[in-house]
Amino acid sequence: MDAKAKLVIKVDRDLEDIAPGYLENRRKDAEMISVALERSDFEALKMIGHRMKGSGAGYGFQRITDIGTQLEQAATLQNRQTARDSLDQLVDYLDAIEVVYV
Amino acid sequence: MTISDHILVIDDDPEICQLVNDFFQKNGFQVTSIPSSKGLQDALDRQKVDLIVLDLMLPDEDGLVVCRNLRSRSNIPVIILSARGEEMDRIIGLEMGADDYLPKPFHPRELLARVKSVLRRTRAAPEEVDEDDSHAFYRFAGWTLDVATRQLYSSRNEKIFLSGGEFSLLRVFLNHPNRVLTRDQLLAFSHGREIEPYDRTIDMQISRLRRRLNDDPKSPELIKTVRSLGYVFSARVERTDSKS
Repeated sequence: MDAKAKLVIKVDRDLEDIAPGYLENRRKDAEMISVALERSDFEALKMIGHRMKGSGAGYGFQRITDIGTQLEQAATLQNRQTARDSLDQLVDYLDAIEVVYV
Repeated sequence: MTISDHILVIDDDPEICQLVNDFFQKNGFQVTSIPSSKGLQDALDRQKVDLIVLDLMLPDEDGLVVCRNLRSRSNIPVIILSARGEEMDRIIGLEMGADDYLPKPFHPRELLARVKSVLRRTRAAPEEVDEDDSHAFYRFAGWTLDVATRQLYSSRNEKIFLSGGEFSLLRVFLNHPNRVLTRDQLLAFSHGREIEPYDRTIDMQISRLRRRLNDDPKSPELIKTVRSLGYVFSARVERTDSKS
């Protein structure tokens, strides 16, 4: 993906107050995933993935739900590589998106 | 929707709670959220709750058990949320007494539509008085109603006289606590007839029942008036098979 290319995501205007904070918290998730990977803490990875899966699409970010699903499954199987891929995908996604409220 | 319906959300994910809080408040609801079933009783005691949104995967208890326990002692409508999303969970949830089921992730607009639909449905057609309660005891706000003897007891065990109409009305309220009942519904369920133009029977009986229950008519705690709609009996009601 072109580093400067933006992925436009349309989000319900009623979520305008809380969507930015939600994305900010996913940045924190990325940090926590990184730490959990270093510690091989698969329980923590599973919980982070589970919550991303359950909330992402509700805030308008289906991709976060998809990444969360993948991370939760990887953690359950203790598959470090897929968990790391999930982290990379999350960071790429957060860097790429531009939110438009409709 | 009545003015400021109160939704109680039970979910351990703070971002789900925030999503529902924010979206529903923007749409005219009052919302309280708690992270586990531990605070449920306190929340129900503190304030009238019109509907509960319940996550299945709670840290302290399975949401299905919470739903079943809730249903055994309350008529408050329940919508289950779950990331599990399995068909069997949905079936069990509904069998446990939930009024609807929504898998996670969900769009808050869909949850809003379901909440409105459940509230409409449960208010439009409340069940008639449960005839199986003929030997039950209802406890509420320190009072006890013995249905078999039609006797009301105060917290100090004093017997309070109730007329037939007052007893029937109180029984209807105890069968439908924390739900708005229109005058038509109250009259139909307590007297088995339809309201007529200018019929003030219910209003007069409400007034008398409030006096029996020491409920200040200027600022009632138990039988609250819902302007242009009817009345709501605002208390936690327990039903048991024995008085003590």
